[in-house]
Amino acid sequence: MARSSIFRLFLALILLFEFGAMNQSVLALGSEIAANYFVAGDNQGTSWNVEQSIPDSYTFVAENDLFQLYVNKTALSFKVVDKRSGYIWSSNLDEKIAGDRLNKTWTAFAQSGVSIDYIDSKMSNGRVSITNGKVSIDTALIDKGIKATVHFLDPAISMDIVYRLEDAGVSVEIPFNSVTQENPDFTLGILYAFPFFGATRGDSVPGYMFIPDGSGSLIQFGNTTKASTMYYGKYYGDDRGMITYPPYDPALYFPLNISIPVIGMVHGEKQNAYICIVEKGAPYGEIQAHPSGIITNFNFIYNTFTYNQTYFQATNRAGDGVTIVQPETNAFDIKLQYRFLTSTDSDYVGMAKSYQRFLVEKGVLKKVVNGAGDIGIRLEFLGGEKKKVLLWDSLIPMTTIAQMDTILNDLGIINTEVVYYGWQPHGASTMPPATLKVESQLGRLDQLRALAHKINAGGGHFYLYLNPQAAFEGEKGYSLRKDLAISITDDELIGRDRGRWGYYLNFPALSRRYLSLSKTTYTELGSGLALDGIGSLLYSDYKKNNNLSREEAIVKYQELLSENQGITALYLPNDYMFSYMNAYYDIPLDDNGYIFTTQSIPFLQIVLAGYVPFYGPAMNFSANTEEDLLKQIDYDVYPSYFLTNEVTARILDTRSDWIYTSSYAQWGQNIRQSYQWLNSLLGPVKGQEVVARQMLADGVSATTYANGKQIIVNYNDAPFTYHGVTIEGKNAGILEVTP
Amino acid sequence: MKKYFLVLALGLILALTVTNVSANSPYTTWTMGPGHYLYRTQDAYTPVTEVVLPIRTAEDLFVAPDGYLYIADTGHGLILKLKDFETVATFGKDFLKGPTGIFVDELGTMYVADGGSNTIVIMDQSGNLVKQFGRPSEPLFGKSNEFLPRKLLVDARQNLFIINEGSVNGVVQMNTDGNFIGYFGPNASTMSLKMILQRLFLTQEQLDQMIKNVAASPSNIVKDSRGIIYTVTAGTARIQSIRAFTVSGKNIFPNTFGSNSFRDVYVDDNGLLLAVDANGQIYEYTTTGALLFRFGAKDTGDQRLGLLTNPTAIERFQDQIYVLDKDKNAVVVYQTTAFAKTVHEAVRLYSQGFYDEARPFFEQILNFNGSFVMAYQGIADSYFKDQDFARALPEYKYAESQSGYSNAYWELRNQVLQKYLGSAIILLFGLWIVSGVFTHYEKRYRWLDPARNWLRGLQKFKIIDDLTFMFRFIRHPIDSFYYIKKDQRGSLLFAFIVYIWVIVARVLSLYLTGFTFTRYPNVSHIPIENEVLTTALLLLIWNSANYLVSTISDGEGRVRDVIIGSAYSLFPYALFVLPIAFISKYLTLNEIFIYTFSMNIVWAWTGIMLFIMVMEIHNYSFSETVKNVLITLFTMGMFLLTGYILIILFRQLFDFVLAIVQEIGLRG
Repeated sequence: MARSSIFRLFLALILLFEFGAMNQSVLALGSEIAANYFVAGDNQGTSWNVEQSIPDSYTFVAENDLFQLYVNKTALSFKVVDKRSGYIWSSNLDEKIAGDRLNKTWTAFAQSGVSIDYIDSKMSNGRVSITNGKVSIDTALIDKGIKATVHFLDPAISMDIVYRLEDAGVSVEIPFNSVTQENPDFTLGILYAFPFFGATRGDSVPGYMFIPDGSGSLIQFGNTTKASTMYYGKYYGDDRGMITYPPYDPALYFPLNISIPVIGMVHGEKQNAYICIVEKGAPYGEIQAHPSGIITNFNFIYNTFTYNQTYFQATNRAGDGVTIVQPETNAFDIKLQYRFLTSTDSDYVGMAKSYQRFLVEKGVLKKVVNGAGDIGIRLEFLGGEKKKVLLWDSLIPMTTIAQMDTILNDLGIINTEVVYYGWQPHGASTMPPATLKVESQLGRLDQLRALAHKINAGGGHFYLYLNPQAAFEGEKGYSLRKDLAISITDDELIGRDRGRWGYYLNFPALSRRYLSLSKTTYTELGSGLALDGIGSLLYSDYKKNNNLSREEAIVKYQELLSENQGITALYLPNDYMFSYMNAYYDIPLDDNGYIFTTQSIPFLQIVLAGYVPFYGPAMNFSANTEEDLLKQIDYDVYPSYFLTNEVTARILDTRSDWIYTSSYAQWGQNIRQSYQWLNSLLGPVKGQEVVARQMLADGVSATTYANGKQIIVNYNDAPFTYHGVTIEGKNAGILEVTP
Repeated sequence: MKKYFLVLALGLILALTVTNVSANSPYTTWTMGPGHYLYRTQDAYTPVTEVVLPIRTAEDLFVAPDGYLYIADTGHGLILKLKDFETVATFGKDFLKGPTGIFVDELGTMYVADGGSNTIVIMDQSGNLVKQFGRPSEPLFGKSNEFLPRKLLVDARQNLFIINEGSVNGVVQMNTDGNFIGYFGPNASTMSLKMILQRLFLTQEQLDQMIKNVAASPSNIVKDSRGIIYTVTAGTARIQSIRAFTVSGKNIFPNTFGSNSFRDVYVDDNGLLLAVDANGQIYEYTTTGALLFRFGAKDTGDQRLGLLTNPTAIERFQDQIYVLDKDKNAVVVYQTTAFAKTVHEAVRLYSQGFYDEARPFFEQILNFNGSFVMAYQGIADSYFKDQDFARALPEYKYAESQSGYSNAYWELRNQVLQKYLGSAIILLFGLWIVSGVFTHYEKRYRWLDPARNWLRGLQKFKIIDDLTFMFRFIRHPIDSFYYIKKDQRGSLLFAFIVYIWVIVARVLSLYLTGFTFTRYPNVSHIPIENEVLTTALLLLIWNSANYLVSTISDGEGRVRDVIIGSAYSLFPYALFVLPIAFISKYLTLNEIFIYTFSMNIVWAWTGIMLFIMVMEIHNYSFSETVKNVLITLFTMGMFLLTGYILIILFRQLFDFVLAIVQEIGLRG
């Protein structure tokens, strides 16, 4: 139980730290800060200390109530002093010491604020860092910061870097209009931004890195790692416009996309931490994380940004072709927000709260959750699916509108999020119509209207399912020539979604279809759409005269959704869609399970808690129902089920065969019981923000909410007693604590 | 401005232990569903952890019943003994070169197949060398056979079963003194059409250069408590990759979906068998050969927990699976999910014969996943045992068990027969009498004459006449072809009706054939388009080939004659195949003779009719006819080959043009 025992020890650490903090003193001497604190009484007999300094090469730039900013004008690295604790955050390595496994290139990389990869005319890559390349740097002080212009003379590439002190930390900007590539033989490939920000050697500092993988994931600092290569992760996933075909292996679940552009580190839990939010440039950004033991002895995590990349253009079917560089440089500004946390805020909960504050201040995250009453439950119904009988398609009605009504009455749960999937004529694997039309075998539109009104009036929400990007392969309803997005290699983008292969629509086709459908859904049913795909999948489109970059696509999608009259639920949305969602569906309950990560955490859930309700993946497909329900209680996630009225065997040989269990007759009782259990525990904290989370013991978690309620989840088989309350094995309980 | 700040605070030692909270699996899990297709199902095992151990390219793992782990650390040349993944002891450092297989008996005696020195090493429980021996000296072993021991096991009678790498003869059986006892359970070599052609056309020198067609040698071995020995074989047909041998060396494992790169196999006392293949996929079967789960995948650099790069051994211990990965130098641990536990409980009870006790578990499984075919079989067997045949019947149908269905149907039919046989005989007898009396009086009073005249009147219509002409072929085939040739009977229109009729009968017979005999237990898997197209294509090329061949070999028949003649020759198929299919619904496997015999008669009759057709229409002698038919068949083959080549050529041409267009677009 590596993960939990660490947290138990951290818990002890907090208590000791509270005691130790009394001895700490912060001396402010002009621009110099002296910090010296020492905490005695270590139950493990270990302590950590790192030497911190501000060398002469750094110049004082700005100061506010909490921080001081220093910049090294030759390496363009920076240091931030957190005046609350005296802790110094350094963007780069000052000096290589004995035992550091860094060669010349790596040392330059570690010591330079930015490094770039350029692509030469032979399509090969070269890397140059500020400290090992021929560069000229101009700097100018600006309000609260400094602006540096760096010219890499050899590949003749230059750019501005603007450092500015902010209320919560420091921001760094690289505006696109300052990026120049003067020599046509060299194009700017990748920019590495402050790769050694907060880097630590081996296990010299206790703490962890945070990567926003799945629900959130931590990599503990250590001397060794199980990883054989570093971690790469593109924000919002790979650009299908650049890769055309995503890798597909039916034996694997495709890893979830990174949906929020945040990374961070903790240096001593409850002591020091930072997060780095990519405010601008995330569509072209990528996380790279090196646990110590891979190449170097450092733990470091940073963002890279891709301006140009080479791609392989096949010229025949046998696969021969040429490698060329993309015709136009990706146009985007970079803005990084480093936000610093100290003392009790310095853990992943504090990091999530800091990101939450950032989103709320920007107006991205809005409170839509209602603070009282029962929790929600998502019930997704499959309407119809088609099946080939002899030579013709025939519809299999799986849940008619009337049956849906009966099921909902039978369940007797209010606050249901009802999603109707496969409502369109000929069922789930056909293209949905441009204006609202329901498959006639499922019922009439006025029946659906009555049901939608009933659900909405009862405190729930009714949605029609739609994947606005998908154009199902082999189906009518779109033009292969005009309506599809095209990749850089001039092929249609291909992907798979809910058991069907398909193409992706280009934006004009997408918006045309989406707008009319969403409008009629609102006018006819008074309801909204549950949008799959569009929240998470972001692709550029290289269609001639219709070019759309990832950056532009975000703006277009946002415009599209802001025209909504009805409310919208989103499946796995990325951060830029947060302000349009009324509910978050299929929220991950785990990370992607990379072997070098040490703990999966509910980072995403803590960010959203109190603002937007979130629902988990359908529980039908869970192999450990009890354990998964416990996890939902732990993570404050509301349950989801996929239902049909008919027996599932009827859709066995259809494209909906991924729904291998769904019959209400089999699941009804189970749903009622699970919901009651979850509601009894999560109801009292509905609409509340999370303020703290800790592991009380191996397999026992405690999450504290803003209203002073604490939920204890015991994953173990043995009972657990806490403050005189016993939580049975594989059970959960709720406590009152004073916040 | 140089100042150092000292930051001192609490730090922590990271305890590295195995956590029990399992993660989401990165792989999908599949089960055998209807029609021998794999269907998705809930996870059976979730990955727990990956324990990196101080080993190098380890080849084998053995879990003793007391929980001790033994690892054949091939790279370091020793045997590692572990408890809770902590090394307890290492053995054999002095005499092992590269152990590849390890087996430990109840006393703790270690039997090692040392691939480095190609010897068998026996050590006592504290690692003292008891015996070491190499290639058996007995002539029976084979003069030129090498001894390359890789894996081994020891049975209750102290016999060693040794996997000898590259051995054609099967598993090597020896005793603990190193004496050769015999070979055990060899694989059969397979011969493909390509190989046959190669043998026919290549010279001896060319053949010698090619890889010899020898039986694949088994790659791993395991035994269960009943003494049955299981082997897996890589590089053999997927469906025969697992074998289970009785003491006498007879394979009792049925053909079942497997992998052609199995590395290791494990079997336990609860009727479960695990196997892992080189692609990191883990298969779980019942010991009777039903595939329960397939999960896992190869790690292609994702580094996600639960994926494997180069698995070499698999073991089960309690609720966990341990897989040794040679490239990761680690043991990956998987935890059984609640769902899989239900399945295992059902299988355990079922395999021990407690059918009724297993039924509620099987029903629970179906609640979770309706495509779990194995569960229907369990439920059906349970009903059958309870003599509830009416309920067993549909369950067997879901389970796609034709023999089970047949047995249940036999019982049901028997009940019906016993109940109604007496009255049915009386009824038939009565009908016989009535019809006799009726015919007798009808002859005198001619009651049916108006109907007869009306029918005769219908013959004025050409189509009706053509139809009745068809029945003439039953008794007078030769004359009838003569009439066609002389334009007296038959028509092109009716010939085409017959062709369509044949195609329809073909497709309908697939649907109508009783469940016991059908090739498609699941009607939705019937490839209708395929059947229609192949039948139509065959009819088309038969007619054209026969006509073309006949015109150049003095055949008298015109196109019209060939088309009409061929159509009428197909009458046995057109007339009888549907009734036979219909009757097959009421037959069981006990009467399979009736079904196959009547089908064979139909085919033979059709063949003879076609032969007579060629002979009569073209006015050939017997020998000329034989020649003509053979050339016709050859021409049909050439048609298909030409068509195939043309398709390939056009595809290449298309690719070529496309490539030019793309290249111009890119560079122009």
